[in-house]
Amino acid sequence: MKYIGEHLFVGQLGNFFVVTSFCFALLAMLSYFYASKNEDKTWKKLANVSFIGHTASVFGIVAVLFYMLMNQYFEYYYVWQHSSKALPLRYIFSCFWEGQEGSFLLWTFWHTVLGSIIIWRNGKLTTSVMAIFSSVQVFLSSMLLGVYILEYKVGSNPFTVLLRDHPEFVNLPLFKSADYLLHLDGRGLNPLLQNYWMTIHPPTLFLGFASTLVPFAYALAGLWKKRYNEWIKPAMPWTIFSVMILGTGILMGGAWAYEALSFGGFWAWDPVENASLVPWLTLVGGMHLMLIQEKKGGVSFTMFGMVLISFILILYSTFLTRSGILGDSSVHAFTDLGMSGQLLLYLLSYIFIAIVALVVNYKSLPRNKKEEDLWTREFWMFTGSLVLFISSFQILISTSIPVINKIFGSALAPPSDAISHYNSWQIPFVILVLLFMSFSQFLKYKKSAFKSFSKAILRSLIAALVISGIIGFLLKMTNPFELFLLFTGSFAVLGNLDYWLSILKGKIRHAGSSISHIGFGVMMIGALISMSQQKNISNNTSSFDVEQLGDEFENKENILLMENDTLPMDDYYVSYRGKEEEGVNVYFLVEYMKRLPNGDFESVFTLRPRVQTNPRMGNVAEPDTRHFLDKDIYTHVTWAILEEDKKDEEEYGEPEVKNVKVGDTLYLKQSIVILDSVRRILPIDIKQVELQESDIAVEAKLIAWDFNTKKHTLRPLFIVKDTSEIYGLPDGIEDIGLKVSFNNINPKDGSIELTFIQKNVSRDFIVMQAIVFPYINLLWLGCFIMIIGTIIAIYSRVKFGK
Amino acid sequence: MKKTHIIGIIVIAISIGVIFGSINDSSTYSNFTESSKNEQAEFHIVGYLNKEKPQVYEPQKNPDLFQFYMYDKDSVERKVVLHKSKPQDFDRSEQIVIIGKSKKNEFHADQILMKCPSKYDNGSPEFQSPEELEKERTANS
Repeated sequence: MKYIGEHLFVGQLGNFFVVTSFCFALLAMLSYFYASKNEDKTWKKLANVSFIGHTASVFGIVAVLFYMLMNQYFEYYYVWQHSSKALPLRYIFSCFWEGQEGSFLLWTFWHTVLGSIIIWRNGKLTTSVMAIFSSVQVFLSSMLLGVYILEYKVGSNPFTVLLRDHPEFVNLPLFKSADYLLHLDGRGLNPLLQNYWMTIHPPTLFLGFASTLVPFAYALAGLWKKRYNEWIKPAMPWTIFSVMILGTGILMGGAWAYEALSFGGFWAWDPVENASLVPWLTLVGGMHLMLIQEKKGGVSFTMFGMVLISFILILYSTFLTRSGILGDSSVHAFTDLGMSGQLLLYLLSYIFIAIVALVVNYKSLPRNKKEEDLWTREFWMFTGSLVLFISSFQILISTSIPVINKIFGSALAPPSDAISHYNSWQIPFVILVLLFMSFSQFLKYKKSAFKSFSKAILRSLIAALVISGIIGFLLKMTNPFELFLLFTGSFAVLGNLDYWLSILKGKIRHAGSSISHIGFGVMMIGALISMSQQKNISNNTSSFDVEQLGDEFENKENILLMENDTLPMDDYYVSYRGKEEEGVNVYFLVEYMKRLPNGDFESVFTLRPRVQTNPRMGNVAEPDTRHFLDKDIYTHVTWAILEEDKKDEEEYGEPEVKNVKVGDTLYLKQSIVILDSVRRILPIDIKQVELQESDIAVEAKLIAWDFNTKKHTLRPLFIVKDTSEIYGLPDGIEDIGLKVSFNNINPKDGSIELTFIQKNVSRDFIVMQAIVFPYINLLWLGCFIMIIGTIIAIYSRVKFGK
Repeated sequence: MKKTHIIGIIVIAISIGVIFGSINDSSTYSNFTESSKNEQAEFHIVGYLNKEKPQVYEPQKNPDLFQFYMYDKDSVERKVVLHKSKPQDFDRSEQIVIIGKSKKNEFHADQILMKCPSKYDNGSPEFQSPEELEKERTANS
């Protein structure tokens, strides 16, 4: 059959680039290898050209894939799978990297950018570094090939056409007609990714992943060429850059989780988060070891180990998240695309290369003969790096439980309470790291006098004790670990601030490390306070099933809010104001109010947590958070009725008769009613019926407050006409679904008999959770300071070669 | 002995501690039969929802209480009392992991993980037209 409207050329073009990118990478690898081995200019030229060819091909693949997504060519599997007609254009980037192929492509893309910069700078060891770089590119480009070699599928190609490369589609009725494209729509993007964080978090994180290759390649080149120290200088700015960008990527992931996922926090120790945190920790350790080695030497083995393992851990984390092995334990792991074998090969190859390089060079690594002095900067930097290593090791072990199960056939499950598990392990490590970072800068490399050192740190030590004491007291913190963390955090901030201001005289040029350390300290204090002092304010204050109480499972994290009811919650009164639909999103309006001295409510802010409806992939609830300078109020709808059932015909129910005295309060379905007064009124004032002068009319004045505390007045009448005919003139208010008639007066006790008829309402409601995170802005502030610090450090390194 | 050696030994010692400590902290995947034998211990149970039996969620009474019936991997069925709100999209879940303890004939869970494969799978050929989708949606609700 000839199909109408297919765009097969772009796919062929894409495939052409896929093949050229692989071939050029292979050529680049081989020629850089020869260039490096023989110091040969011709080989180098060829290698550079090949790498540029490879870069151009990768750019070509990216452009073609974007073009296809942009024009919604659903005849392509990748486009069909990750996009749909209804998808707003702004999520096109998310479509691009939703699939494994796209995210590998993103990773490859960053490698080509970084590699091109290295070629352009053309410093020492460039050919060796680029040989290693290109070898990685050979592996990554092969991930897109999608060809069969000896019945084993190599890679997964993003340019396959539904009808030609996916036989399972051919027999579907939709594809029987030649103009199938007119009716074809894509599966659409996972609703979790339809979020602006998902357009900036993945590229940043992948740049972070990609950047770890640079120190790895330099370190390996250093071992290969036996330039055990010379590689550090050119690699240093890259390493700091990698620490910065990978750190930023991880934090953006945290921000995404906090803003868009229902984790209820910015860090949930999810396996996928951990998988990228582990290499960051080792890389930070490696960077400090590089500094020691550069200044003083003596740590080469540990340094090489830490730098090399960082990249290997990146590969390992890719393997974890993409092989489907985390399936049961993580919310956002990919499923296996049949590439785990290839990934494993990739991972094991580089582990093998790194181990061989270290073992071969072990004997000839430079060593310091002299015994290390305790009061030197390098000693504490070294110890701190080891603490980082152990810290990352602990996270790695706990995260790898599914892998341990696979290898040993065990049935271990991840810790039930992941957050407390990791926190209890990691807090001591953080305390040590903060402590070391607070005073190490005051020590000199090689040797310091203990006396002058202790004098120098005394001031920040005392200030930190006082400040952390005050904060701890004000926040009523009692946990000794938390208090100790607060103290070391303050000490780290103040110590580094003092060092920067008094010893570096506040000069920006050398301040990179001090400022980064200050940022890290502030960040840890922010994390500590917002996590330990977070308060679930949505304790259930509405009616409660008492029978279920009193056991250990008692859980009161959610609150039920009927539409337009006002319930007290912490310092606020909260009301659910109904829902709004906008496209696929259903927004729930949650109004936070304060009570004024006169009893009225004043709206403070309204949050709009939403549910993104997606019949194919499942609905996704997204919280909404109100940010204040000193706290955040996080609001998440955990359960709601989404289908608008036809509201039970809003009919009035059975009448209820009540005897009421003046001043009595009645709690009705939609209002609170007070009988204000009963008084006789002149018949002439009554408009509804015609009365004689001699007739008697009594009016009951009822004040009704609805749940918006709006005041309504009802005036049912009791009439005695012609001395014998008795009847009531009812009054009603539609808004509150209430009708009242006045039947009788009981002279004995002065009460009156009223009949209430109320509307049966099936009111809408939501079940929601609200959490206050105090001082979470300290966390973000710390992140910014740390990022700025690292940028300064990179700048000084590049500009002044410090 | 050099200071670095001492540090090295300490690092190795802590690392071994970390391995055993972390693994010790971990829980185990199990089944209802095992969990009934030890009501004190916490278990992770993997299984699937019994869609025939009723699910009870009455947020008006208690928004943090949801009851349903579930089969474990050995097809043993048990009533599960989840002390949390009913997860959105619960009915779509194909695999459920619950974390909690057995109590008499019930399993009391305080955490639940659901897997809706549709969210992460890579495109099954069972392509659905909008009409089919609509049909499925109305059938579910």
